[in-house]
Amino acid sequence: MTSKEIFAKLHEVAFNPKQQLNQYLADGKKVVLVTYYTPNEIIHSMGLVPMGVWGADIQLNQSKKYFPAFICSIMQSILELGINGTYKGASALVVPSLCDSLKCIGQNWKYAVKDIPFIPMSYPQNRKPDYGKRFTKAGYERVISDLEAITGAHFSDDNLRVSNHIYNEHNAVMREFAEVASEYEVSAQERSDVFKSAWFMLPEEHTTLVKELIERLKEGPKDSRKVRVLVSGILADAPQLLELFEKYGIKVAFDDVCDESRQYKKDVPETIQNPMDGLVEKFCSMDDDTLLYDADKKRVDYIVTEAQKHHAEGVIVLMTKFCDPEEFDYVPIKRACEKAGLHQVNIEVDRQMVNYEQAATQLEAFSELF
Amino acid sequence: MYTLGVDIGSTTAKAVILENGERIVASSIIIATVGTSGVQNAVTEVLDKSGLRMEDMTAVVATGYGRQTYEQADYQISELSCHAIGAHFVFPDVHTVIDIGGQDAKVLSLNERGQLANFAMNDKCAAGTGRFLDVMASILNLKISDLEKEAAKATEPAQISSTCTVFAESEVISQLANGVKIPDVVAGICSSVASRVASLVRRVGVQEKVCMTGGVAQNGGVRLALEKELGVPILYDDKAQLMGALGASLYAFNKENKKNNT
Repeated sequence: MTSKEIFAKLHEVAFNPKQQLNQYLADGKKVVLVTYYTPNEIIHSMGLVPMGVWGADIQLNQSKKYFPAFICSIMQSILELGINGTYKGASALVVPSLCDSLKCIGQNWKYAVKDIPFIPMSYPQNRKPDYGKRFTKAGYERVISDLEAITGAHFSDDNLRVSNHIYNEHNAVMREFAEVASEYEVSAQERSDVFKSAWFMLPEEHTTLVKELIERLKEGPKDSRKVRVLVSGILADAPQLLELFEKYGIKVAFDDVCDESRQYKKDVPETIQNPMDGLVEKFCSMDDDTLLYDADKKRVDYIVTEAQKHHAEGVIVLMTKFCDPEEFDYVPIKRACEKAGLHQVNIEVDRQMVNYEQAATQLEAFSELF
Repeated sequence: MYTLGVDIGSTTAKAVILENGERIVASSIIIATVGTSGVQNAVTEVLDKSGLRMEDMTAVVATGYGRQTYEQADYQISELSCHAIGAHFVFPDVHTVIDIGGQDAKVLSLNERGQLANFAMNDKCAAGTGRFLDVMASILNLKISDLEKEAAKATEPAQISSTCTVFAESEVISQLANGVKIPDVVAGICSSVASRVASLVRRVGVQEKVCMTGGVAQNGGVRLALEKELGVPILYDDKAQLMGALGASLYAFNKENKKNNT
């Protein structure tokens, strides 16, 4: 396939997750909905299909009944989609306890979406010490036991070892794609499609396509745009927003986006004999993330370092409205960027944006700084 | 060389014609929202005032909220860059520009050469914008132009929430119901806008000299409240509302000049 054909296929998947869900169900597979840092390797190892839920740009109606007005619209839209039947057929929803908003969704989900059971994944605040690792392991064991009870599937160490390897390979391919997309001609929309489609496909299927895509891209022209940026935030998938990047000649040189590169930074150490311990080690070794507790805010240096490494002269922070963790991190990020001589801009986004004029003005003015 | 700058804002359309990037030949301000005939009326008026024709313009630059829709423009550029250029033209040693328009507020940081170096815009919220003042003036049955002189009469300015236009509206009604005098309420409203905008200024950094542009700059009550909030004098020129169009016209001149010199 040509790169255009592969991009078209991934775009189709990224924009039609319902079709993917129905296809997996028609193939006799059971689908488990997952969000941020859920143990997808475990779900996969049990023969289930983990499919990402990141909400959608929809009008919120029924979900408003369960939340106050000033709360993350990503999470609200996940509940809205649950209530309106979009996820119908899924066996369960696994949600980690990584932010206050995510903590809220579980109880509301139980009341509002009765046909899809909710499985909590409780992560420790302090994940590095031994007790943090034991806590994480206990959380994974709870997920396994709930999944076994709900789906009838069985867990085994041997299968988890295989899934860990499959996910590690996918991580490596996604990391390589991010580097290739930084160097070669890839639009913001195409880049987003590759990351977004990963949430709706089995990793082994996605790996095959992205591997081929990388080879095709390397045969193509290198990107010569002047304005190179690192994009940071929870989500960066709104087509209208991505279109503006193209309009103003802004190249995404790298990202620090929740549902994009942040997912693929760490692998399960396969040298650890027990695959569950390896998976625990993966989570506990993660850093540089808004939702992972870090009193030293090492993420700030990470953003500056990655921007410089990828020859980006600017950082665009896409600030999800009402996301406290992201807002807390913004001030040190801004200061660090200024100190490093990087232009930066903070653009507020949410799941219910209908007008991108303000974002357009900010991006246009930002591109004029270079 | 004549150049035309057109600033199509959310509540007004502005046009400025410059001669050789130095002398303002004519200007026009028409109250009209984007998508109406406001921009055409502003251009017609500025041409009439100058005695020039569209064909006499070497270049036309559009800026502002409706910049994409003005088909006669040779170039378009963001209003942030235009306000920076315009403010630097009027105040050559300015480093911070506070532009409060009809529906948004922006703070620009200018480098030593007067170029835009950094900026911040308000969140998607009417608080701290011209729209906030419109809503409040309407509740008080005052004209926008009356707000300044009413605020000047205040003896005990009221406390008005700077968080939300809708909440502030209820607060103003409560204050009036409690017998608070209108000038004190108006002074509270001006302080509310100033407080909101000051936080935006601090985000970028207060670097003297500071000036105000945009329609709200004409309101001395807000200017004074902002000076108090920031603790620095704020420069003002009666061309404040035209600064975007002026910057656009200057941008057009610079662009053409550069083209002619290469």
